[in-house]
Amino acid sequence: MSLDKYKKVFIESLSIDATKFSDQIKYNDIPEWDSIGHMTLISALEENFSITIDTDDIVDFSSFEVGKKILLKYGVKF
Amino acid sequence: MLLKNKNAVVTGCNRGIGKEILETFSSNGANIFACVRNSDNNFINFTKELEKKFNNKIFIVDLDLSDTENIKNAANEILSKEKSIDILINNAGIIHTALFQMTSEVKLKEIFDINFFSQTVFTQYILKSMIRKRTGSILYISSSSAIDSNKGRSAYSSAKAALITQAKTLSKEVGPYNIRINVIAPGLTDTDMMNQNTDKKIIEQVTSEISLKRIGLPNEIAKAALFLSSDYSSYITGQVLRVDGGM
Repeated sequence: MSLDKYKKVFIESLSIDATKFSDQIKYNDIPEWDSIGHMTLISALEENFSITIDTDDIVDFSSFEVGKKILLKYGVKF
Repeated sequence: MLLKNKNAVVTGCNRGIGKEILETFSSNGANIFACVRNSDNNFINFTKELEKKFNNKIFIVDLDLSDTENIKNAANEILSKEKSIDILINNAGIIHTALFQMTSEVKLKEIFDINFFSQTVFTQYILKSMIRKRTGSILYISSSSAIDSNKGRSAYSSAKAALITQAKTLSKEVGPYNIRINVIAPGLTDTDMMNQNTDKKIIEQVTSEISLKRIGLPNEIAKAALFLSSDYSSYITGQVLRVDGGM
């Protein structure tokens, strides 16, 4: 399922403790999701879903939930 | 073979400095995405000869820096063929010579669009491949005029100076990913673009002021690009290397 895959990419690319992960996570909420972590996350999403995310969407990607909406635009189904 | 098995993207490589970089990198084992605006049979044959001679792979990519959609398509074409890009050389650019008061807003925007904004966008696309791999080297070909602020080059020099500032900033942002960003600032270099856009008297005057008393050759810029793209410069980032014969 894409949702599981999406969550897995978050956890692995940001090196978050899986037990502490929440769907409510937002950019800069945790030290791991800072600007550097953000680029790592975007790169991992692009690689795992075989998409290229536009810069405007990278900027707008402000939370786990917003990210889902953005990925929908690129054909990822949840 | 300083670039054996490395994948490089080089923009503007059908003439001048870019063409020399293409040859120098080929001779050092790199596989190359050769980005050009107008590919012709001469260029296609040139790349085939290089492939035969150096046993590398060269993919010609249509890249028009004046067309945002084309930039995105070019980046996607490259990344769909090769996910692992090691080197990006931002070489393509246009020159413009006019006094400040004679530089129209339209021209100013055109120079910045091609020499700065489009290169920024293209770099943003390619950079993501390097972030994934946590390694890479990006090189901007700026100009000594960005530092020396030569008369008649206000638009060109300003755009090239913007590249330098961007490169230094970017080097700090992507350093943690083991990605290096450097700049070459060539002085007067014997290319068609320079000869067609620089008054002969100015060339003579500048040459007399150069320590080595001659203008540079494109392959001398290419050799500096090779050094800064290779692991021989693994601890160099955020730097501007003047290759100008001493000015």
